[in-house]
Amino acid sequence: MTANGEAVNDEAANEGTAGGPGLGHTEVALVGAPNAGKSVLFGRLTAEYADVSNYPGTTVETTAVTVGPTRLTDTPGVHGISSFSEEERVTRETVLEADAVVNVIDATRLDRDLFVTLQILDMGVPTVVALNMMDELEADGVEVDVDALEVALGVPVVPTVAVTGSGVDELRERLPEASAPASTPVDSHYDALPDAVEASRAEKTLLVEGDEPTARRVGARGLVADGGDGPLANVEDREAVYRERRNRVRSIVDAVERDTGSGRAAGQRLGDLLMRPVTGVPIAIGLLATVFYLMGVIVAQRVVGYAEGVFFGRYYNPAVETAVADLLPASEWAAPVEFLLVNDNLGLVTITVQYVLGVLLPLVIAFYLVIGTLEDAGLLPRLAVLTDRGLNRIGLNGRAVVPLIVGVGCVTMAVISTRMVGSRRERLITTALLGLAIPCSAQIGVIMGLLAGLGVAWWGGYLAVLLGVLGVAGVFLDRALPGRQDPLIEQLPRLRVPRPGNVARKTANRSAAFLREAVPLFGATAAAVSTLDYVGALDAIVEALRPLTAALGLPASFGQVLVLGLIRRDFAAAGMTDATLSASQTFVGLIVVTLFVPCILTMAVILRERDARSALLVWVGSWVTAFTVGGVVAAALEVIA
Amino acid sequence: MVAALVDVPTNEWIELIEVPDDESRVRLLRLGLLDGRVKCHRRIRNGPVVVRRRGTEVALGRPLAREITVKRAGPDGERR
Repeated sequence: MTANGEAVNDEAANEGTAGGPGLGHTEVALVGAPNAGKSVLFGRLTAEYADVSNYPGTTVETTAVTVGPTRLTDTPGVHGISSFSEEERVTRETVLEADAVVNVIDATRLDRDLFVTLQILDMGVPTVVALNMMDELEADGVEVDVDALEVALGVPVVPTVAVTGSGVDELRERLPEASAPASTPVDSHYDALPDAVEASRAEKTLLVEGDEPTARRVGARGLVADGGDGPLANVEDREAVYRERRNRVRSIVDAVERDTGSGRAAGQRLGDLLMRPVTGVPIAIGLLATVFYLMGVIVAQRVVGYAEGVFFGRYYNPAVETAVADLLPASEWAAPVEFLLVNDNLGLVTITVQYVLGVLLPLVIAFYLVIGTLEDAGLLPRLAVLTDRGLNRIGLNGRAVVPLIVGVGCVTMAVISTRMVGSRRERLITTALLGLAIPCSAQIGVIMGLLAGLGVAWWGGYLAVLLGVLGVAGVFLDRALPGRQDPLIEQLPRLRVPRPGNVARKTANRSAAFLREAVPLFGATAAAVSTLDYVGALDAIVEALRPLTAALGLPASFGQVLVLGLIRRDFAAAGMTDATLSASQTFVGLIVVTLFVPCILTMAVILRERDARSALLVWVGSWVTAFTVGGVVAAALEVIA
Repeated sequence: MVAALVDVPTNEWIELIEVPDDESRVRLLRLGLLDGRVKCHRRIRNGPVVVRRRGTEVALGRPLAREITVKRAGPDGERR
């Protein structure tokens, strides 16, 4: 979180000294496990204040709000301060820069959540513990002795029910009491570090836990004196430190928690139903159909269709074109400028604006609403469990199900949601599969129309070819890419009814952050493509494609279709409705345009989310796959006919 | 009685005694699944195994569950 960097000038931030944050500007981080109620509590603590800002730049977002002299940052949910995932890296950075932490723990999951609490205290970061979900605890028939917990931890513990706001005032009042014990058992491990290492207590704790980014950070200061031959981060010690901390967690839990035996029967029926294939598959299909209907039909077709066809097509674009023509003088130099601004393919102030506001924005908002709802309900991890088995075969684990579902709505958004998928390797495989074989909803509408004219057999053939490509590409990438498959270790949260306010707040923050990043990117891409168009490079491409289209048995005009496809996928499919093609030509053509390169927005997002190499792999891979598969299918049809 | 996690029947209390993958071991340790007994809560056919301890439920992918060695304590192990 370098965005926070300039704000932290207190020494306390780096020294991690015990004692409450003093006067002046303080950075407070809200830290806890996923679904412990952090976001709701964050909303409660900051509700009256409008100054919300969102910090992208990191791949997992954090939200910060300034209230008077205090800046409160909401962090991604974690089960430990370390570097096993993108969420953990972001949270670790935020905690290292914080003057104090509000540690939100789920009272019903004390045994799990106190690990993070003790880790933060070992790091010496002043802390107040919010013991959340007290209502659920009572329903479970379990009692927690809050006073005893406060004594055991040595820091303030405030019982809260974030959803009703209970305990929030007390939490706010006691924030200045945030403290950390002067020493903890982890100190004994510091001896293993080189004597001269200049690191804060927080950093030392992470060092003895073998955290590599911290080792690099401390190492980069060049302050490690002689004797520091060995690696700074000590992976071997990590387990010993963790085990010792777990022992402390257990003895605290044994001392403060008591089961009254009067609770409801444990077990979450619906959650279990979703994970068992017999019941889970129908539920998941229902869920998928709903998501598809919402994103693919309502938003991608109706809302976007209205925005493009009516708002932009009839009013905005003609008006802007007229305005630009009036404003620019009729001289020679003005022609290229006018072309750049208002051309029909990707004009900077016409079609580009239309894409971003008319196409992307509705899809982005719908996507974040759907994901936020599933996330808030605790359904995503169960969906991951259900699909883990199938996805294992193509080198992925269950977590990849989310991007693949979203992809059917909009591939651009799906690429962004690959952030939820574990390792780099899995993100690359997911991105490649999305770019290759998942048709987006914009395209599906047109494709379905064309296939409907051909008959059911062609439909089945189309689906079979796509699924085949998806499977083969997945297996191939799994084998070809170095590294091993990420094992699924998925914590299953309590299921609950999603809270609209929470979902709406997240959606608004995330959508705004996305637009801030995306708009300049798309502007630059549009300008580049228009320039190519103006100098005639696009026509040259159509010409160059002639041998390829001929090899597929398609007319030369199909090259025009492909060039449109370079910009937007549904353009390619739509272009085919105008051409007069035979049934088999249409079939081959549809397969080629489906497998062909992702639209220009998706490519821009792949560039931003991954890197140039991945983007190139997806792009070139799409060309090769589209024409190879198209060629094979064309040849096969020839034989049959 | 030692077995692989995938072979443990539902509702049996077990102790996870060996997790070969370093990162998985540390992540399970943090979640509190490596100290003391856990219950094999659910086995998804050909899919992940869900283990449970003090209300915390964690799903472990099948390839991982195959690698994990457990000590079986029988169905009448201590509660919680």
